[in-house]
Amino acid sequence: MKRSYLLIFLLFFTALLQQAVAQDRSISGRVTDAANNQSLPGVTVLVKGTTIGTSTNADGGYTLSLPASATTLTFSSIGYLSVDRPISGSNVDVALSADTKQLSEVVVTAQNVERTRNSLAYAATVIEGDKITVARNPNAINGLAGKVAGLNVRQNNVMGGSTNVTIRGTKSLFGNNQALFVVDGIPISNANTNTSGQVTGGGGYDYGNAAADVNPDDVASMTVLKGAAATALYGERAANGVILITTKKGRKGLGVTINAGITGGRVDKSTFIKYQKEYGGGYGPTFASTDVDGDGVRDRVVRLSHDASAGPRFDPNLLVFQSDAFTPGNPNFGRATPWVAAQNDPSSFFQDAVTLNNSIAINGGNDNGYFKLGYNSIRDRGILPNSNVNKNIVNFAGSLNLTPRLTTSASVNFSQVDGKGRYGTGYSGAYGDNPMTNFRQWWQTNVDIKEQKAAYEYQKQNASWNLSSPTNRVPQYWNNPYFNRYQNYETDSRYRTFGNVVTTYKFADWFNVLGRVTLDSYDEIQEERLAVGSVGVPAYSRYNRTAREANFDLIGNFKATITEGISFNGLLGANMRREQASWIRSQTNGGLVVPGLYSLSNSRDPLNPPSPGVNEAEQRRAVDGIYANANFGYRDMVFLELTARRDKSSTLPEANNTFFYPSIATNFVFSELPALKELSWLSYGKARINYAEVGQGAPIQSVYNVYDKPTGFGSIPLFSVAGTRNNADLKPERTKSAEAGVEMAFFRSRLGFDATVYQQRTIDQIIPVNVSTATGYNARYINSGELRNRGIELSMFGSPIKTADFTWTINANWTKNVNRVVSLYGTGDERVTNILLANYQGGVTGNATVGRPFGTIRGYDFVYLNGQKVVGSDGYYLQSEKADEEIANPNPDWTGGISNTFAYKGISLYFLLDIRKGGQVFSLDRAYGLDTGLPDETAGLNDLGNPSRNTIANGGGIIFPGVQEDGSPNTVRADNSTEEGYTAYGTTVNPSAAFVYDASFVKLRELALNYAIPQSLVSKWGPVKGAEVSIVGRNLWIIHKNLPDADPEDAVSSGNYGLGYSTGSYPSVRTLGVNVKLSF
Amino acid sequence: MKKQILLSLGLSTLLATSCVDSLDDYNVDPKSPTTAPGATFVSNAERNLVRTINSANINTNPFRYYVQYWAATDYPQESRYQINTRSINTNYWNPLYRDVLRDLKEAKDVIATDINISEDVKANQLASAEVLEVFTWATLVETFGNVPYTQALDISVPQPAYDDQKVIYDDLIKRLDAAIAQFKPSAAGLGSADLINGGSTSLWIKFANSLKLRMALTIADVNDSQAKTMVASVAGKVLSSNADIIDLTFISTFPNTNPLFEDLVRSGRNDFVGTSFFIDKLKALQDPRLSQYFNPVTEGGTTYTGGEYGVTNAYTDFSTPSDKLKEPTLPGVVMSYSQVEFMLAEAVARGYSVSGTVEEHYNAAVKASIMEWGGSSSAADTYLAQPAVAYATAPGATYKEKIGTQKWIALYNQPTEAYKEWRRLDSPKLTKPSTAVSDIPLRYTYPVAEQSVNGANYSAAAAAIGGDQVTTALFWDKFRQ
Repeated sequence: MKRSYLLIFLLFFTALLQQAVAQDRSISGRVTDAANNQSLPGVTVLVKGTTIGTSTNADGGYTLSLPASATTLTFSSIGYLSVDRPISGSNVDVALSADTKQLSEVVVTAQNVERTRNSLAYAATVIEGDKITVARNPNAINGLAGKVAGLNVRQNNVMGGSTNVTIRGTKSLFGNNQALFVVDGIPISNANTNTSGQVTGGGGYDYGNAAADVNPDDVASMTVLKGAAATALYGERAANGVILITTKKGRKGLGVTINAGITGGRVDKSTFIKYQKEYGGGYGPTFASTDVDGDGVRDRVVRLSHDASAGPRFDPNLLVFQSDAFTPGNPNFGRATPWVAAQNDPSSFFQDAVTLNNSIAINGGNDNGYFKLGYNSIRDRGILPNSNVNKNIVNFAGSLNLTPRLTTSASVNFSQVDGKGRYGTGYSGAYGDNPMTNFRQWWQTNVDIKEQKAAYEYQKQNASWNLSSPTNRVPQYWNNPYFNRYQNYETDSRYRTFGNVVTTYKFADWFNVLGRVTLDSYDEIQEERLAVGSVGVPAYSRYNRTAREANFDLIGNFKATITEGISFNGLLGANMRREQASWIRSQTNGGLVVPGLYSLSNSRDPLNPPSPGVNEAEQRRAVDGIYANANFGYRDMVFLELTARRDKSSTLPEANNTFFYPSIATNFVFSELPALKELSWLSYGKARINYAEVGQGAPIQSVYNVYDKPTGFGSIPLFSVAGTRNNADLKPERTKSAEAGVEMAFFRSRLGFDATVYQQRTIDQIIPVNVSTATGYNARYINSGELRNRGIELSMFGSPIKTADFTWTINANWTKNVNRVVSLYGTGDERVTNILLANYQGGVTGNATVGRPFGTIRGYDFVYLNGQKVVGSDGYYLQSEKADEEIANPNPDWTGGISNTFAYKGISLYFLLDIRKGGQVFSLDRAYGLDTGLPDETAGLNDLGNPSRNTIANGGGIIFPGVQEDGSPNTVRADNSTEEGYTAYGTTVNPSAAFVYDASFVKLRELALNYAIPQSLVSKWGPVKGAEVSIVGRNLWIIHKNLPDADPEDAVSSGNYGLGYSTGSYPSVRTLGVNVKLSF
Repeated sequence: MKKQILLSLGLSTLLATSCVDSLDDYNVDPKSPTTAPGATFVSNAERNLVRTINSANINTNPFRYYVQYWAATDYPQESRYQINTRSINTNYWNPLYRDVLRDLKEAKDVIATDINISEDVKANQLASAEVLEVFTWATLVETFGNVPYTQALDISVPQPAYDDQKVIYDDLIKRLDAAIAQFKPSAAGLGSADLINGGSTSLWIKFANSLKLRMALTIADVNDSQAKTMVASVAGKVLSSNADIIDLTFISTFPNTNPLFEDLVRSGRNDFVGTSFFIDKLKALQDPRLSQYFNPVTEGGTTYTGGEYGVTNAYTDFSTPSDKLKEPTLPGVVMSYSQVEFMLAEAVARGYSVSGTVEEHYNAAVKASIMEWGGSSSAADTYLAQPAVAYATAPGATYKEKIGTQKWIALYNQPTEAYKEWRRLDSPKLTKPSTAVSDIPLRYTYPVAEQSVNGANYSAAAAAIGGDQVTTALFWDKFRQ
């Protein structure tokens, strides 16, 4: 195979050389916008009367070789009035004036083909780079949140955590739903490598996801291609939509841009628990009674092992031996102290986050090419002690026009991400407790967090508040949180290189060929530690992973005018994609021999071999595709686009491994109609409709069956039948998508909108469907089931005020996606109506149920009578018989974003509101925290004015709203005395549905106040050409939410799971900072 | 030049379409086995079976709570019979089907077609796997009632129907008879792959017959004549000394340590203390096993105190599970000799044709238990001499009460058997705690997942047994305490 490729390239270059000889005279220049003198990219420059031409680059520059006969150049661009200029000399610069009848945009589409907006028959939203970096978000992907209709960016509050990016909803029940990122033609993965336990909230670290390895300051624009019609050329991964990232190009001369920024972050207290201050530690309102000081008299001792605050009522007159009395080095060591609430609750555990975000970009170019070099350094310190993530990104790209016909370019992006002390997530895990689980669910309100700090710092030992007993001072369930942060930290690093080499040869004005090789390659290591002295078995684990993806593309581009008024664009391409990933995870067994030594050889017992296929794995995938695209245009008014792609995927059985899928799209720029063209109020109008299908291969290694190989029993080997049955008859998944939309602009494009309706159906889903384990299996792979997404996307822009000095612009978007599981599998009696997606701690599950949206949560529900919750004879709510009732739907009703920009001379103020309406979340933090008596509502006074935690006999208890079983209003007071070890509010006596909350929010997502220092001043600063100072803020204010004590957006990880499930949730961080941008 | 373009495009198209077909090995997991010796599946099944029935993990096996050996420290929910929040029933059901029965089936398939094993050895290997399978099915039926059986273990039937518990039980008895007949006493069996009996065919034969005795007594209250016939057929063929104990000796390295070690030591948790109900009983009888079953309240002390069942208890205030239970290499017992003697005592009391008297077998059973736990023969004699222990004078109106109480004491580290025997013998008298969410369970409810992935069959099964409740008695559980 290699030899054949060599042959092709040789053929290629022979052809190139032949052409290189025949060079003509050339002309160059720059095209600007007459209104603001800014560069205009994508302007078509044609030798008048011929088809010879080019288009301007990102900086408006162009270079064109001219036939001897050329006399005049025509400059045209969508949205501008065309201009003819005579050719004189070797340089022609032009300023174009806006044609207010049209929207001025050139859109980069699939396979990096630049197209006019007129000719697009599908939804494509372009976000300029400066809009992404406006609030200096260190993660370029997070900079998209709230800005694009149909795009869902779900970020969590974990430092360096992963971001879930989906377009138009969840399409695949078990497959990947992440949008495909393509950076200058290089597909890069947005997968995370978190453990399966982590993604379902079971504990572990969130190592972030790989699309964050893009230098935000290098992004020129992102194009969000939403529907299959827009993305079909990208092949099987395109069903999830594509985010095309176009990086900045060099420009003529030499330019240097420096950004220097610092931001600080502080916890938003509305997203952290508010503790009650009336009752202290214990499961039950009594102290232990032991003779601590040896005076022969029993002393009052707090129940040290109890990780709850359903304990005795605070009373400063009571002297109680508390954990500090057993902590050497504490001033209260050996002493009983007054029984009062801690002065410093766990909110003092958080430190201020600091981020340094500095970048430099150098670029330059001349008529023959350009280069650019960028460096971005991000130093992130998190809100937890001993946490940081540092990121260094270097990128370089260069392009050279070897001959007027031959252009070659290459780019390389190198990134290094180092993490230390990432936050533990979820409920529990082998490594690194999540302090939020501790603080929100299992805590004693009498414990002073600053004393825990002092206790750790005294001898750097695990002096925990949660001791087994006064005599056995080994921590019971929870480490000292500081010990945990400073001793049980993880470290990780990811080295990543992605880049491309592209050669384009223009055989003729109507035909060029592009050859491209891209590579994305990364290596990562994750090391986790559990120090000697921790709760559990001390351990060290390491995970090494390498992943590579190479793509080889050969694309022929055609362009022709068939007859007067009918244009043709087309391409024919072939793609080879090769992926390989291998990893190994190993950990010590039975403890560590030498404390503080974190190596596998320090294992107390012999290491167990990593389980094959899971912890020692080697995965490969090959997909070969050929594709074609044809676009016919009639008078720039009516367009018809056809595409077809055929893929062969190695993940499918050979008999079914080839799949073909087409798309058809058409649009009509009705504002070009003569009758409408005259309307002064109508600037632009277009209607479009399309239909497309995309096939998708199977997960790697899901065809053939293998055995599991459990750790041998000493020298006796064990083998076992794998829990998932593979399937040698799998066929591709298929997504069918249809879309229609209208774009209009009015009043000289001061106001406009884009409305789209769509439907996507994904059928023949490849699912490891859960089966009755009585079959001997957990699941088997089958092709079945249909998931449907229907939705509406609206975008609107407007400039209510536009004067010479002052402008006000508004951008808004609104998305409603309705997701529905149409079918699963089986018919008749065998028909399966529900698939379990994930089992969560707390007795709730994630499900796909026929007729319901993806990811609904099931658990125990209330019992209702005439719409009222029914209360039992003991005053507690009745619960449904089964834990199988749907209690939450995590999908939002709609989402939206509104941004406003006010600009007055050099000052601009920008802010973005990010809105989510509806969707529900189950909070395990609340289920357990309320049970253990932490939040303020578990104490306080009842309707009689008595402390609700008094016994019923003593006037305590609470009346829950609802009706009794006979339908009469509830008057029975429920016991909240904690005598049984829990309050009346928690999970013990309430159904799971009691902890389901509306996940709506309105957030002030981004804020930027920008001041461009006037040119008159800047010009005095020597080489400085421009200077801007900005004050930026992110997540400054959660204007509205219904989830108490937490951020409704926070999720444990990216991926399909964990939707609508909140545990050990991190508070939102308000970020405010300053950035200085200098250009030279 | 156009030719060249077309040629290069054409060539690459060809390449692109011919490559993937030659890459079928991309689908092969190069790190995982596709073949393995049949006996290794038996090894795995044995390990998982013994772990599941002996586990102390409250996510899997809370039977030490149900028979009130142990009480909880900080988290008493499971001792109040909450099952679903931790999917306890699922975690008991899944390994038995998936990691025991399915692997035994695979073992049989592979062994049957292995041409390198002699016919007699093959017969013994298959019979051993069959006996284990019968034991496992019996455990499932005795825990859940109706379960998928005839359609189970077949992935082409993803929604297997549930069979009637009694019908399954009858079939198991037939299968057990066939397996017993299949053994070739003079030939070898599974060899070192047999983690339970070390490949000893004679031990397997004894175990199979003892299992038959056990199943006979299980149905004795509802089918006396069948039980009587079965018991007669095993006379003299059952376990005959503590040396015959059917158990699996765990090793010192995780993950093949005794599951008790994992929950009592490795977890770092202190979840359990003895109940006052049990410890007071042991104390009253001056039982020599007390110090083997529990640690004193304070290290080196002599005071044993039990906690209250169903509520929270301070770990340091009460006696906790003994150090013996914390040994990683502690064997997990499948069937003890003591248990067999108790069964023989009961068989005599029921009038079945077993040699010896009730008292002889009762004494042998108690003695075997004490000695199994490291006690001396004389200590056992002293113990048995007490009026409260001696069979003739021990409290209790019926043999069920007398045998039931001592059997309950002896089965301390066989929680699955203890729970079944408590339901069958209705002794000792247990009282549910006031905080209980239900009556004392008489069975596990079906795993929640069965409702969603096998709903129609689940509903039919629930209806057939009289409701999927913990209080639904199983077919052999004729009397209530």
